[in-house]
Amino acid sequence: MTKRLTLLPGIALIGMLFLIPVGIVFQQGLFDPVFTTEHFVRFATRGAYMRIFWSTLQISTVVALVCLLVGYPIAYFIVRQPPARRPFLMFLVLVPMWMSILARTYSWMVVLGKEGIINQSLIWLGLIDEPIKMLFTTGAVYVAMVQIMLPILIVTCFSSMTEIDQSLLRAARIMGASPRKAFREVFLPLSAEGAITGTLIVFILSMGFFIVPALLGGRRDAMLANVISGQVSQTNWGFAAAISIVLLGATLLVLVLVRGASAKLVHHQEEAH
Amino acid sequence: MQDRNPLLTLFYVLVVIFLFFPILIVVPISFSSGRFLSFPPEEFGLRWYINYFSDPVWMAATFRSLRVALGASILATFVGTLSVIGLGRKRSKTSGALTALFVAPAIVPNIIVALGVFILAVRMGVSDNELTLVCAHAAIGLPFVVLMVGSAYRQIDPTLERAARIMGAGPLRAFLTATLPPLTPAILSAGIFAFFVSFDELIISLFLMSSAETLPMRIWNDLRFEINPTIAAVSVFFVVVTTLAMTIAELLRRRAEKNNAA
Repeated sequence: MTKRLTLLPGIALIGMLFLIPVGIVFQQGLFDPVFTTEHFVRFATRGAYMRIFWSTLQISTVVALVCLLVGYPIAYFIVRQPPARRPFLMFLVLVPMWMSILARTYSWMVVLGKEGIINQSLIWLGLIDEPIKMLFTTGAVYVAMVQIMLPILIVTCFSSMTEIDQSLLRAARIMGASPRKAFREVFLPLSAEGAITGTLIVFILSMGFFIVPALLGGRRDAMLANVISGQVSQTNWGFAAAISIVLLGATLLVLVLVRGASAKLVHHQEEAH
Repeated sequence: MQDRNPLLTLFYVLVVIFLFFPILIVVPISFSSGRFLSFPPEEFGLRWYINYFSDPVWMAATFRSLRVALGASILATFVGTLSVIGLGRKRSKTSGALTALFVAPAIVPNIIVALGVFILAVRMGVSDNELTLVCAHAAIGLPFVVLMVGSAYRQIDPTLERAARIMGAGPLRAFLTATLPPLTPAILSAGIFAFFVSFDELIISLFLMSSAETLPMRIWNDLRFEINPTIAAVSVFFVVVTTLAMTIAELLRRRAEKNNAA
């Protein structure tokens, strides 16, 4: 009984600084002071906001898929190395995560700027005469976000891959499967769930990005978090709260849809075998 | 078992270079001495480090961030460890739901938490207050403590604590002598993690604080107007501090795993 009491400080902290604040966001977005959908109507009918909504979804989806395409082979490579070497290979992937996101964003500004390192080098090499515009573009946002998110996907894929019994692959090979076929029929289905989880985590975290689009993107690359922050600084709390609800709702919807689809897929595969 | 695919090895090397790229760039810039950015820098010096360490505004922001992160980390670690004990070892529906609740702040975008905490703080008259910021940062650090300490707690053999109880120790004493010592490395490494969650947090601080800047706020306000190499010096300083702290945390975690396995 006394053990249960130790939960109270945690519940109090989460209650006061997470549950009640999120509740307040819903209240601010939906009531003014009586129930209203005015903020949501404004959001849905002004083209600018809907465009930012779709581009937030698009950026998060592309970042998640690029991380999957790059990170899955990396995790596979590490897991196929001798166990003694794996921690070091993982360590190299994880160290860049310890650098502040603001510091990394600064670094990309220095690299991609008009007088930045890439432009200076290209001009020095004589490959271009005029600097190329790289900073304040969607491409800069993608590069920085993938650099930030990739380690998270690799870790998630790697930890699910280490649980795969490697002798299954050997068995498939002994039974005459080609390496490619052994990978496709044995390794891929067993590692799919970890890969989907990792991709979803990257997607969810990307949806809330704020610093990178603000500092590296152009005017048209703002994401929902930037709009929320802009509305807060104009003290439009109700509208900021409504956009927050849209952000949270869209994220959860994608989460549920992908989870549902992947459960069906895994189930389907099990039946096929 | 080893895969000797040279293409995959090359791909790994390229990806690691890409991941390290921001660090590799920032180090030489921080040691340059020219006002204008050039790469590779023409002259080397400690100009930007001297700038950083002698500027009272940067130093005030740094100490404020250290203070807030220390407070948030202690609070999150203490509350998180208590929660782990309360959740217990057995998995039930209640403990599952509570774990989900404790982990939720890590999944919900910080901007939403920031907006809610800000409005609540304004209503209660405690906005622009370091203590409010400490509590808010503790809440977003809590998920990591619950996950990290929780997984260590479930690996500890409960018979030791039970034995202590049978030998007549009270519940608190049994916990302090039998369970806490093997749990300490995990608690410390979770504390270091929670420290950096707070130390690197921008958006909640930005909403909540108006008169006093934290270090991320200082960097943010600086970056919006000019690219100032002082930030490179700040970044390198913190990469070194973070790498040291995280390496210590990782070593603690490994030692704990070895001790628990023994």
